Amino acid sequence: MPGMGLLLLKGMAVLGFISTSAMFLIWWERKVSALIQNRMGPMATGWHGSLQSVADSIKLLLKENIVPAGADKLIWWLAPFFVVFPSVSAFVTIPFSEKLVPRDLNVGILFVTSITSVCVLGIFMAGWGSNNKYSLLGGMRSAAQIISYEVPLLLSIVLVVMQTGTLSMVEIVRAQAHGWFLLRPHLALAFVIYLISATAEVNRVPFDIPEAESELGAGYHTEYSGMKFAMFFVAEYTNLFIISAVAATLFLGGWQGPLLPPVVWFLLKAYGIIFLLMWVRWTLPRVRMDQMMAFAWKVLTPVSLANLLLSGWLMLR
Amino acid sequence: MVEFAIYSIGIGACVFAILSVAVRDIFHSAVWLSLTLLCVSGLYFSLNAPFLGVIQVLVYIGGIITLFIFAIKLTARIGDKTIAQTNNQVLISLLASVVFFVFLLSAILRHPWGRLATVKELPLKELGQSLLTNYMLPFEFLSLILLAVMVGAIVIGKVKK
Repeated sequence: MPGMGLLLLKGMAVLGFISTSAMFLIWWERKVSALIQNRMGPMATGWHGSLQSVADSIKLLLKENIVPAGADKLIWWLAPFFVVFPSVSAFVTIPFSEKLVPRDLNVGILFVTSITSVCVLGIFMAGWGSNNKYSLLGGMRSAAQIISYEVPLLLSIVLVVMQTGTLSMVEIVRAQAHGWFLLRPHLALAFVIYLISATAEVNRVPFDIPEAESELGAGYHTEYSGMKFAMFFVAEYTNLFIISAVAATLFLGGWQGPLLPPVVWFLLKAYGIIFLLMWVRWTLPRVRMDQMMAFAWKVLTPVSLANLLLSGWLMLR
Repeated sequence: MVEFAIYSIGIGACVFAILSVAVRDIFHSAVWLSLTLLCVSGLYFSLNAPFLGVIQVLVYIGGIITLFIFAIKLTARIGDKTIAQTNNQVLISLLASVVFFVFLLSAILRHPWGRLATVKELPLKELGQSLLTNYMLPFEFLSLILLAVMVGAIVIGKVKK
């Protein structure tokens, strides 16, 4: 079959990038948290603990696979796939540079948001299949949270789509050739709304209610061990990369920048946003469930709707 | 390549669809149904209609299946093996599905089958414009229905004092 080889190659490249990026991000997160908390973080394995993630992943590969008695076997087995497959698929339309896009779909940004919404199902399945009340609570909270924050998230993306008149991520970057969208006031507000809702979408502090260690153990993946746990972990850090990459594409001009090659610019911007989110994570406390839901429906959604109206008026004026 | 994709995804869709009505556990049913819908979306992608495929995932899996799961969560006796899988409307629904199957079969048999025609992707702009010009009435009608549904949901969900 013609084209199959290239397709496989692209798939392998994406998988390679995902696992390397996830391992790097886990190490980086530990280092950033150590910096903020005035500790050293991992130091023993390799230079400044840089091989720690490699050691951890080998350990996870070799670990025993424990299935809880009374678990719903089918759901239990399928859940990690449902969590990982959306994060891998989302890479299809992410433009690393003008040429380096697995496939520039016409509906690019919509594809990313729709495929990542499948993740909810996987998280809920993990919570349900574990037959553990903490897992179930975590899964329920996560589903409720992701559904609520999807509304302001999509509304802030719609602003960018209105501005450019296209859904293709490459075209959106090209539209920012004369200045990032972040520099326009109404789009800057959309950027802030996007970042807040995206943080909630990937269940990170201050919105990490689904995984609140102090009350739930670890939430929906409490019962998972070994490779299955690793898949949840990889998915979590891949989603972190995806939301940052989308933010870089929509608001920070994607691969565009002087001197350095486009890919480097794109990665710099994406990892810069990831650093911002890590900084937030290790600085802020956790909010309560009701506070979080109220914030999504009573503050973020009305503000983003008002912003939508305002920018519609600005465009038609 | 495209034909291979269409056949394999189509077979997957059929298998998952049968599973989703055949299993007893309703949570399993919802999971199989989500895979069926994912396969249908894959068919749209292979037939060069990515917008439809994306909306299929966003609305059906992101929205409807998630709602199903919330509803299932509130149901008692989810994994109960003793619940009957059919209710007393089994004859009527059998009749309806047979009639629908015959209708589909006649359409399938009448169609001149050949190689897959390559369909050009419709630009999104055209799609949006035709929604607001040629198909204005159905479009507005749908939004009216959605409004009615929302009002209905609020009325049902309102706490009675």
